[in-house]
Amino acid sequence: MRIMKNIQNFLYDQDYYIDIFQNCLHVYYYLDLLSLSSTSIELKLKEFTLKIEGEDLVVSSMDKHEILIKGKIKNVRFDR
Amino acid sequence: MKHYLLVRIKTSKKTSLLLKLNRLNVDIKEVEYAKDYLKFKILASDLKKVKKYLMRFKVEILDETGIYKLKEELKKNNLIIVGIIFATIVFLILSNIIVKINIVHEDESLREIIGEALTEAGVTRLSFKKSYDEYEAIIESIKESYPDRIEWLEIDVEGMVLNIRVEERIINNYEPDYSTCHIVASKSGIVRSIRSEKGVSMVSINDYVTQGEILINGNISLNEIVKKSVCASGEVYAEVWYSVSASVPLTEEKRKDSGKMRYNFMVKNGSDEYVLLKSRVGEEKRVENVYLFSIFGFEFYLQKEYEVEVETINYTEEEALTKGIDLINEKLELKLDNFESIIEEKVLQNTTKDNNIYIDMFVAVTEQIGVKEYFDETRSDTSDEEYN
Repeated sequence: MRIMKNIQNFLYDQDYYIDIFQNCLHVYYYLDLLSLSSTSIELKLKEFTLKIEGEDLVVSSMDKHEILIKGKIKNVRFDR
Repeated sequence: MKHYLLVRIKTSKKTSLLLKLNRLNVDIKEVEYAKDYLKFKILASDLKKVKKYLMRFKVEILDETGIYKLKEELKKNNLIIVGIIFATIVFLILSNIIVKINIVHEDESLREIIGEALTEAGVTRLSFKKSYDEYEAIIESIKESYPDRIEWLEIDVEGMVLNIRVEERIINNYEPDYSTCHIVASKSGIVRSIRSEKGVSMVSINDYVTQGEILINGNISLNEIVKKSVCASGEVYAEVWYSVSASVPLTEEKRKDSGKMRYNFMVKNGSDEYVLLKSRVGEEKRVENVYLFSIFGFEFYLQKEYEVEVETINYTEEEALTKGIDLINEKLELKLDNFESIIEEKVLQNTTKDNNIYIDMFVAVTEQIGVKEYFDETRSDTSDEEYN
């Protein structure tokens, strides 16, 4: 999947992308992790801040550009 | 390949820890949340950074992953692995070694010749086995070295034993026969047919001849002067008589399989045989051996033991008499060739004694009675072939 995403990113030259699944959210090319709690996570992306709200939110995997958040996601908001 | 470590960091402030790890650009994977610690996979290269900047957190390395884990496991179990490798090498070496060479032929000199040729070719006891092509080349070279002795040669590898099967070349040197002989009667009888190939026939059909009488003469005469002596050849069939005696028991034991079969194991070393388990079919039995494998010269067989039932049959005198006559006929037939036959047979007397029936029989048989009898004569300059 990651290879496919990388190819897509290379072909379309995107700055970021966000995948929302049933109980997790995957953000590629985030700039910073602004806040982190079990009910809210804030991520800084190039043009906006992504606010994720929900219950039992946890970071499952994380590196410099990529983060996978798991939990019961109730609300995703873009603040420009 | 990235070298990941599975680590556990004790903390009650998990979010704080994660944020700090994010600030330090530390990659983490498969994060597991517990009450008082976080467990995750981290790059080995990032661990130093974590230990340096997050000094107040106690980092505990639980495991390694991927090829590094394999390396670690190999280090831990190096003795076992070395043992397995060593055992495999020993097994491979042993299974490729010849422990016994069997040259299957009754002629000792031929066995010695082949044994020496094999030794020269490097095929000896406790040497390594060779490939099929190498054995073929050895076979060809031995056959070329002894063209007058070896007709056919085969090398058969059975486990650690090398079986060499050889067929000796038989060269028939036909030399002209310069001997001189008559065909004489080996028995007394009435001549029934004559087939003379060489020599002069001295008797006619229905002539009574006595033992030792010349049937075909090797001296060829003209006007009562011997012109030439040859080795007479031919066949003379005559009616001869035999008085034959036989005895047949009135009771006979017949053995047949009861249908019960049990398995056993047998180890064979040369001519010695050792049965591994106690027999489960009793004393009266018939065995069949199925070859399994051989190791270090010991051959292992699966032995099938069939239980045999012994049945006692009682014959009446008539039955025993018929059986005795059949037996005599059977034995006489074995002695007779295609042109010989039984003409007449008659039971002279039969007596019963000690649970046996004794039979005396008169048998008339057409039989070839001509045998060669050599005599000294000055050798003729003309060969037999020229004469013919």
